[in-house]
This record gives sequence, structure tokens and C-alpha cells, in this order.
Amino acid sequence: MSKYLDHSILEIHELLKSKQITPLTLVKEAFERIEEEASLNAFITLNKEAAIKEAKALENMEVDNVLFGIPIAVKDNITTKGLRTTCASKMLEQFVPVYDATVVEKLHDCHMIIIGKTNMDEFAMGSTSETSYFKAPHNPWDTERIAGGSSGGSAAAVAARLVPFALGSDTGGSIRQPSSYTGIVGMKPTYGRISRYGLIAFASSLDQIGPMSRNVYENALLLNILVGQDRHDLTSVAKDPEDFTRLLDNDVRGMKVAIPNYFVSDIVSDEIKEKIDEVVKFLKSQGVIVDYVDLPYLDKAVTLYQIIAMGEASSNLARFDGIRYGYAVEDPKDLEDLYCRSRQEGFGDEVKRRIMVGSYLLSGENAKVYYTKAQQIRDDICKSFEQCFKDYDLVIGPTTTTVAYHLNEGMDDPLKSFLDDVLVIPVNMAGLPGMNLPVGFSKEHMPIGLHIIGNYFEEAKMYQLARFLEKNLALDLNPKEGGK
Amino acid sequence: MEEKLSKEEVLHVAHLARIKVSDEEIEKYRIQLKELLNEVDKINEVVGYDEEMMITPIKDEALLHSDEVEDQISFEEVRSNIPHTSGSFIEVPKVVQHE
Amino acid sequence: MSTYQKTIGIEVHCELKTNTKMFSSAKNGYGDSANCNLTLLDLGYPGTLPLINDYAVTLALRAALALHCEIHREMYFDRKNYFYPDLPKGYQITQAKTPIGINGYVEIEVDGKPKTIRIHDIHIEEDTAKSVHQGNHSYLDFNRAGVPLIEIVTEPDMNSSEEAMLYLEKLRSLLLYADVSDCKIEEGSMRCDVNVSISKDDTLGVRTETKNIGSIRNVGLAIESEALRQEKLLEEGIAIQEETRRYDDASKETVLMRVKEIGNDYRYFPEPDIPKLCLSEERIRKVQEQMPMLPDDRKARYQALGLSDLSSSKLIQNKPLSDYFNLFLEDDIDFVMLSNLLLGDISFYLNRTMKTLMDTTLTKERMLSLLQHLYDQTITTKNVKDLLEEFLETDKDIDTICKEKGIQNISDTTLLSTIIKNIIEQNPESVKDYQQGRDRAIKYLMGQVMKETKGSANPSLARDLLEEELKKQ
Repeated sequence: MSKYLDHSILEIHELLKSKQITPLTLVKEAFERIEEEASLNAFITLNKEAAIKEAKALENMEVDNVLFGIPIAVKDNITTKGLRTTCASKMLEQFVPVYDATVVEKLHDCHMIIIGKTNMDEFAMGSTSETSYFKAPHNPWDTERIAGGSSGGSAAAVAARLVPFALGSDTGGSIRQPSSYTGIVGMKPTYGRISRYGLIAFASSLDQIGPMSRNVYENALLLNILVGQDRHDLTSVAKDPEDFTRLLDNDVRGMKVAIPNYFVSDIVSDEIKEKIDEVVKFLKSQGVIVDYVDLPYLDKAVTLYQIIAMGEASSNLARFDGIRYGYAVEDPKDLEDLYCRSRQEGFGDEVKRRIMVGSYLLSGENAKVYYTKAQQIRDDICKSFEQCFKDYDLVIGPTTTTVAYHLNEGMDDPLKSFLDDVLVIPVNMAGLPGMNLPVGFSKEHMPIGLHIIGNYFEEAKMYQLARFLEKNLALDLNPKEGGK
Repeated sequence: MEEKLSKEEVLHVAHLARIKVSDEEIEKYRIQLKELLNEVDKINEVVGYDEEMMITPIKDEALLHSDEVEDQISFEEVRSNIPHTSGSFIEVPKVVQHE
Repeated sequence: MSTYQKTIGIEVHCELKTNTKMFSSAKNGYGDSANCNLTLLDLGYPGTLPLINDYAVTLALRAALALHCEIHREMYFDRKNYFYPDLPKGYQITQAKTPIGINGYVEIEVDGKPKTIRIHDIHIEEDTAKSVHQGNHSYLDFNRAGVPLIEIVTEPDMNSSEEAMLYLEKLRSLLLYADVSDCKIEEGSMRCDVNVSISKDDTLGVRTETKNIGSIRNVGLAIESEALRQEKLLEEGIAIQEETRRYDDASKETVLMRVKEIGNDYRYFPEPDIPKLCLSEERIRKVQEQMPMLPDDRKARYQALGLSDLSSSKLIQNKPLSDYFNLFLEDDIDFVMLSNLLLGDISFYLNRTMKTLMDTTLTKERMLSLLQHLYDQTITTKNVKDLLEEFLETDKDIDTICKEKGIQNISDTTLLSTIIKNIIEQNPESVKDYQQGRDRAIKYLMGQVMKETKGSANPSLARDLLEEELKKQ
């Protein structure tokens, strides 16, 4: 089997340009790897036929950009025209979108090739991808363990080197947490950076699409092409074009970094705390100023998240009613029966729990007591971060409180899934950019991730610190080689 | 704190969400939904917050669309995703009363 | 006489006259074939997001200003959540907390006395799909889903069906003149919901809502019948239930649709997909400046130009005529003559032929020429009746039509004199009679003149000329 997909994107790009390989070489290799690692269950739907056809069509075209001909996996809550998009739900098991998400159009524009749709928690609700109707993906570092969630399939696919890139979505940590569990780089950009048009909504004021990759540089490359205002999404923001790789080789000396005390409190396991300490010591030795700070309400972020996410989800998922698309029961006895049974049978447990609780939280006077109040406190969290960024360039901490745990460990505990994301959720609350950088391994050789949070639209600065650490840590992050 | 929701409370939220629940599920949800609700009640511990509310993290004004027809799709394009059609209509069980 | 006092509040939904929908770029078109005016958003497709129609905002703003509302400078939208097949997203996007306009009013005139109906708010929302029912199924057409609506909510300021109807007439005419909606109740582009309660004292009774009444007249009938129904119940000691009813045209009564659920629970929350919408002072000023002339202003203007109260009102009742009339406001013409023409022969012609002014050749220039001919007395109002059809349907000028149809230029003294001379020559007997002082002779001769001119001679001019000519004999 060829090993081209283990090369860096720049190396692959040179090979393509000099015609030593073609996009078809890469696509075939990706499908071979996926087949070989089928037990990871990283994909829900493969795009084999169309991908091969596309690769062939690219053969006679000029290799005009660094992402040309590169295979990519797309999370299955992002619509792809003509390619089934399920949200890992029985509800959309047969759903074939008639349009491409804006990000998918952007991938096509630079001739990246979509290999398939990755596994995830149903409607992105969960932290282990175990709520998938198509069974959970596995962690390439230890297949008995979870790959995290909700973008677990995307994380597993990149970590196992099945594809160099994947798109994920992050509502309450769903890019960063699985990236941490699987030892890859995952970026949730500033809310509004990337169009949400075509992202099947979970919680509209929190959802954001982002790139997942093997390393920092390549992550920045992919972000370069994903961003931009979209007339189909009023919450996408107009910004001058920028190259997110531009600060990668800059020195970090004199950079000011804050660590909120809550991020290194007792909720975090000792070995992760130790790893973060090592990182902090190293940064200080390199002239980075690191201070411990107090940020209010961080301990309440999960509660706010639950209220806002479940409330919005209950509304966003009301459209799945068995009328215009999606699962519908046969021979309903009346309209109510069509609604209630289609939704009972089409949605899994976690989704139903969240919709029901979300409906309750918005009903009658509850909307004021819960949703409005949560959005008010959320505004305060925002302001406290803004304050913090007046004094600091970046905020850091661990991405997760533990390393990836074993499959089935948290099943049927409705709270467990939220608590896995306790450290990453505040970022979604504020709409800030956050990323995971692998910084080491646990005793059982499971990846540990550093969480880097930037000020609004300062992704480039986050990449700068991340690249600096990556270069100096020089970890082997391929589970096959660096693994057990 | 109560350990469980009442059966009626479960049925009420299930109705709001238009999700049918079996008797078995009711028992399960009485506990699980209550756990979640106890969790979100932690918001009551927060006092002294600012009244200003965040609706979206976007601070810019909404971009306005000029009144021009675009992006229309034909019914045929979406027909295959629709569970029941009749001619160029979408068919549903009879609508009885308006909400 | 009933001892109960009625209290009435009205909610009106109006579709805005835009090209496209409120939150999508699909066509806003009435009467097109089913499910052809759609974008994916109108079907609530997963992953789609709302836009905001700039022009719809302008129209809503214009309506709010026409109703003297205070304007929200910074608005958000809200989601109203409920399940219904005509609601593709499972929620309607509306404005619950920051309606575009609040605290407005509409002035009506009840028995010659002015009365103010306060407007609680006017807000922007989207229409639902249309469903037709047949057998055990309903069939959905999403063309109407997402069409921009404004909802105008009054305070409970009306106390009779007459006031309610006057308010609706006035509101309709305001919205028509502001050019925000075509306000066709029959086609559903204007829809009325009426809240009625009755009470013997100052405390408000329990109210019922009667929805979607098909005409302003029926609003009056519905209020009367609903008030009567409530009165009967109260007299029997039965409490009124808060409920939603509809008006049945056949039985002329309101019929129960449903009792309001406890927690008819719309789970409102702010729409996170739409950032704030701001209306700058400049935009508000511009919309105010470009406001078409509203009915009350027109009436004042018309009366100042010398039109009667009745003529002014009649013109305003017919917007195309009033708009046409307004084309001449800066001209130096006889406005009473113009109004008489428009409300008289021209209206008669339009009604008979089921045409609008747009279907005729009556340009402003042609109208000015018609007025000039009348003013010069080169034609009479009688002539107008004869030449109008041709004048409205062709591009021919008045003189040509008169020539072709043999309509004489009766005020042409030379022509009339020639005709009169001929008649005198042909009737020597009558001339003698005249000279002998017989009065009937001149009547007979006048008759001959009229016969010869096919009735188009200006009678006083003809008589003067005739007498002059006879004196010469």
C-alpha cells in the first residue's frame, strides 16, 4: 500500500505538481486505509464513486493551489448535494440534500475531494459519538475507547491518518474535545468566521464549523479557504482576507498568556494538570508571560450551555416532523400521530431528552427564568473574557478533564456528556475562537490536549503559539507508529 | 430536591415536543429529565448579573437582502425527499384545527 | 337596548407588496401554481438560514409611520414555536419584544365626531403555507410560506361594530395609500381577527377571539352576533370562556374553533439566526419623506381646491382616481371640473367596461386638452358623453373625434351663424311668426338648430345668435 497520505500537505502538493502522483492515487489510498480501518467506524457514508470520478477529472487540470486534489472528510451534519447527510440519525437516514453547504462549495472551489461523511453524535448531541444511530466510532489510540464527540468520526479519521483533513462542528466543544482525545489539531474559529449555511443546526447561537488536521500549519491552510461572509448566513462576518499561517514562525517571547484558575482546579485529572504545568514551565522558560487569573461564571458555563443549547435545539429540531423530508411513520392515524410517532421513532434517546427539556425550558414563564437569564449571564462571560484579553494575548488550559475513556462508560447518564465539555464550553458561550493542540500523552499513552483560546478573530495568534509548542514538543502523533 | 418528575409532567413536555412516549419510557424520563432539570436549576445560584442579554455573538448589524428573486428551486428537485406528495402538493393527514 | 357595553380590539394581518419573501429570496406571488415560488428555506430545509428583505422593512416602516407609531431603532426577531403543517420550520419568525412600531393611532369619525383608536404595536412576521383539505388529507402549497406580513394590533378602544368597521375601512385606506399592501380581504392579503368582550361596568369582561373574518361587513356582523351570544350566556348566569371562534357566513353566527389551551405555549425566544436590525435616523427620515399622500391629507387638499366634502370622499374611496387626480395638483385647472369628470362620465365608463384608468389612453396631456376644450366651451359636457368612449380608447384628439363623429364645434360662432342663417332661410313662416311676436316661433327654430347640430350647440350661444339673426331680418 502506498503511504503518500502520511506525507505533509506541502510534500503531497509537490508530488502532485510534478505529476509523480495524481489525485486518484490519494483518493484510492484513502479508501484503502478506510477499508483497512473499517472497525474504527469513522464514516457513515463513503463518497467512493463520485470521489474517484472527481479525482480522474482533476488529472488534466493545473494544480493551482496547495489543497488541490487533497482528500477531506466532512462531518455528517454538513449538507453535501447528492450525498446522503444523516446527522447520524434515523430521522435523516435516507436524506439526500439538494444543495451544498457553503463550506462544501469552498472545498469544491479549490478542488479538494470529499471522501465521505463522518460519524458523530446524533444531531451533534453528545460528547462520545455514542449517540450515533450508526454506532460509535473508536479511538485509533485504543479502539476500546471513545473518539470523543460530537465530531468523533472526523477526529478518528484524521488521527488514524485515513484522511489528512476533516471538517467538524463545535457547539460546546465538539471539535476540540475529540481532537484532544485523539491527538489532532482542531480549531473552532470565532463565531461568524465561517458560514453556517448548510450546517444542520443544533444550537444556532453556538454552532460553528472548523478544520481538523494532523498539525497546526495544515489546520491554518484549511481555515484560509473556509472563512468569509456568506449572503446566505446573516451571522457570518465580513473580514479582510488574511493568511492564517502568517505568524507561524514568529517568536512567542513576550507573549502574555492567562490561565483561569478554574481550568486547573480539582475537576481536572492529575496527569493532565501535570502535563499543563510542564507546558507552562516551558513557555515561561521561553519568555512567555503566564499568569493565573480568575474569570467569573466559568463554573456555571455548563449550566448556561445546557439551557441555551437545549432550548435552541428544541426549536431547531421541530422541523423534523415527517412532512417535507426525513423519517415518517407508515399509516399514521392522524396528524398528531404522524408528528409524535415519527419523532419518537426517528430520534434517539439523547436527542429526545434534550428536545423535551429544551421545550420545557422555553415554555411559559420558564423562558424568562432560564433562557433569558442564561443569555444575560452569557453576556457577562463575554465581557469578562473581553476584559481579560485587554491584558493578555491568549488564554490557555487543558482541553479536557480526563483522557478518552472507555466506550459505554457514560451511557445513559444524561449529565456525563455535558461534563466532558466543561472546559471547552465557555468558549462557545463567548463566541471566541478555541483550539486543541496535542501536548503529550497519559501513562496509558492516550493523547492530552492543550486548549488555546484567542480574542475575537485572532486565530492567527493562536496558531502562532500552537506552532511554537508543536515544533518544540515534536510529538509522534501517528497512532500506528507512535502508538502502543 | 424531588427525585422524579410526575407522569403528567413527562407527558406535558413530551406533548410540547410532539414526541410520543411509551409507558416504559415515561418511567425512564421521570428520572432522566428530572436529573437534567435539577442541573439547569443551578442557574438560580447566580445572582448579581448584568441585565443585558446576548442574542447572538454577532455584534454587527444584519446584512439586508435586496428584494430580488434568486435561488429558487423546483418542486421536482425536492420531491424525492418528501414522504407523501400528490401532484405538486405535499400530502399530510387531514389538518383539523389550527393551533 | 342592551345594558352591556362592548369592548373590541382588532388584529389585522397584511401581506406586504414586495417581489420576494420576508426571509428568503423566493418570489412573493399570489395565484401562481402550487409550490413553484420556493427556496429551500421556504420548505424549512435543514441547514438553511433566514435573510432579511430590505424592501419589506421599508414597507413595514412606512406603515408604522402612517399609523403614527414610535419606531424601534434597534430590532431583533423572535421565534414563535408551534407545530403545524403550514409552518415549515416549526416556528414562525416574528417580532414579539421589539416590534417595528409601537404606540400609534388611527383617527376615525363616528357620527361626525372624531375618535382615536390606539395602535398597540405593528410588527413584521412571515406568512404560513396554504392548505386545502380533501377527504382524509390536507394538501400543502408553500408558495405563501414566508410572504412578508405586518400585524397591526389595536388597544381595545372600539365599542361598537360600527366603530370597528370604520376603523378597518380607515386602516385599509391608510395602508392602500401608503402603498404597502393591496389589502384584498377576499384574496387573503388582509385578514382580520376580532376580540370581543362585554361588560355592564368598567371592568373588562372575558374576551373571545373571532379569527379570519372574510369582509369588513362580516366583521360588523360577527361582532354583533358574538356580543349577543355572550349577553345571552351572561343573562343565563353562564361564564364566558376564553376561546377562539370563527364567523360562519351562512348562519351569520360565530362558531367555536377551540377553547384556549392552558399554556397555548408558543415558547417565544429571540431568533439567534438574525443579528440586530438597525433603522438609522436617515432611513426613517427618507421613508417619511417618500410617504405617498395619505387619505386625510388628500381630503384637506381637495377641499382647499374647492371640491365638496362628498366629492373629496368619493375620490379618496377610489385610489386610482385619487392618484390620477393628484397628477394635476400643480396645474392651473378647474379642479371641480376634473373631479366631476372623473367621478361622473369617466367612472361610469370604467365601471361599464370593467376597465381601470391604466387601460385607457387618458394621459395627463389628453386630460388637460379635454379640460381646456370644456373650459373654452368648444365642447359641452353633453359632447363629452358622445366623444368619451372614442377619446379613452384611441389616441385621436378631440377635434378629430368631433369631426369624425359629426360632433360640432358648437362654440364656433361662424359655424353656428351659418347653420342659423340656413335654418332661417328654410323657415320663412317661422320668421314671420317671430316678427308678429309669437313666442313659439323661436322655440321651434331653436329646435331646428339643435336638430341640425345633433344637440351639440351651446344653447345660450345659439339663442343669442338666432335672436341676433332674426332681428336682422
